[in-house]
Amino acid sequence: MDYPTIISITEKELDLDALIAQVTLPSTGAAVMFSGIVRGITERGNAHETSFLEYEAYEPMAKAKMGQVAEEIRSRWQSVEGIAIVQRVGRLYPQTPTVLIVCTAAHRDTGVFDAARYGIDRLKEIVPIWKKEVSPGGEFWVEGEYIPKPGE
Amino acid sequence: MKVKIQFFASLSDYVRAKSVEMEISAKTIVATLKELFVKSYPKIAAAHKSIMAAVHRENDAGEQIIPMDAEIAFFFLVSGG
Repeated sequence: MDYPTIISITEKELDLDALIAQVTLPSTGAAVMFSGIVRGITERGNAHETSFLEYEAYEPMAKAKMGQVAEEIRSRWQSVEGIAIVQRVGRLYPQTPTVLIVCTAAHRDTGVFDAARYGIDRLKEIVPIWKKEVSPGGEFWVEGEYIPKPGE
Repeated sequence: MKVKIQFFASLSDYVRAKSVEMEISAKTIVATLKELFVKSYPKIAAAHKSIMAAVHRENDAGEQIIPMDAEIAFFFLVSGG
């Protein structure tokens, strides 16, 4: 059976309910959603305030890599049915959802929580999307730490 | 041959351009192109090792010979989500 896979990069507001509905099937009884949100006040580590984040994507490669993440999820958790991976780009203010990962499965004890967690972790490793943090004190591009292997 | 290199995020800011075109010889590998690029933009020399390369939307370690009409992108480590 072909299960739905939604891959998208958009400047539009994320409609979380609509995206969950797109990956919900008659056979699914569990949907795990992770959404990243712009944090206005950071207390952990270097405490600071954030005015907004500016997201940029290398869109064709980013979509290909998001598809790769979905394939990796399916290869690890055969129980996962629907997958949605959606990244919002552009200027995003605190308390705004920036990214959405949804995995659906028949039941909650099928690894679907781990699958969604893997999805966001992997997106932050290999999908070419960057964010610039703008705060009252200045601005800087946030840099990741993961060095992808060739072909990864 | 002429190749176009796309830049994103902070690397685009450093270069002050979204892309540049460079002239390279046949059988040039990605690592050599990166070195040529850094020579043209000395102020990013310190960050040379952090520059990632993608050819045809796949991450590349630098050993690949650049094919004709390659889609090439240079960027720093990703930070999305």
